[in-house]
Amino acid sequence: MFLGRVVGRLWATRQAAGLAGRKMLLVRPETAAGREADRLVVAVDGLAAGPGDRVIVAHGSRVRDLTVGADVADKDIVIGIVDGHELVK
Amino acid sequence: MILGRVIGHVWAARRDARLQRAKLLVIRPHAIYEPAFPTRHLVATDDVDAGVGDDVIVCLGAPARASLGSNDMPVDAAVLGVVDRVEWRADAMQAAGAAPGIKRALPALDAVSK
Repeated sequence: MFLGRVVGRLWATRQAAGLAGRKMLLVRPETAAGREADRLVVAVDGLAAGPGDRVIVAHGSRVRDLTVGADVADKDIVIGIVDGHELVK
Repeated sequence: MILGRVIGHVWAARRDARLQRAKLLVIRPHAIYEPAFPTRHLVATDDVDAGVGDDVIVCLGAPARASLGSNDMPVDAAVLGVVDRVEWRADAMQAAGAAPGIKRALPALDAVSK
C-alpha cells in the first residue's frame, strides 16, 4: 500500500466494460518525506474519496477481487481515507 | 520480504471494513531497493507491535494477507518481524557481478545497523 493525495477525477465516455460505471480517481503518490511524486496513478474508489483527500492505495488483483469485484479492470484500489499521519523526519 | 524502517503511523477512520482493527504503519524501505519503490515508502499492517524507529521485515503480496489470519484482507504489505540484528558483508553488497543478477554496484545499505 502507499499514501497518496487525490488530485482529481477521471471520466471516459468510451471505456472497457471492466471500467464501466466505476469512479476513477487520479492519485498522486507521496514520498516518505511528504512530498508528492512526479507520477499519477488511476485508482478505482472502493470508498467515497474525493479530490483533496489523502488516501491509502493498495495494489494487486487479489485486493481488487476482495474490494470492488473481480470484473474491474484496475489493480490500484483506494482502501482507506487518511485522517492523520505522523512521520518522523 | 524486504527490510525497512518504521517512520510513522497512519490513522484512517474510513477504510475497508475488514481493516477496521488493523494497525497501519508507514515504512521506508532501505535504500538498496531504490528505485524499486519510487514512492520511497510503504503502508503496511502490523501484527507484531513494531514502533517508530524499528527496523522491520515487511512481506509483500499474498503472504502478507495470510499473516493476518485470513486470505480475505485487502492488503498487500504486512510487517512480519522486528529486526534485532543484521549482518551483511560490504564486499558482497557493493561489488558489481558479485552474484548472478547483480549488474551494478549496490548503494550502501544505509542505517540498518543501529
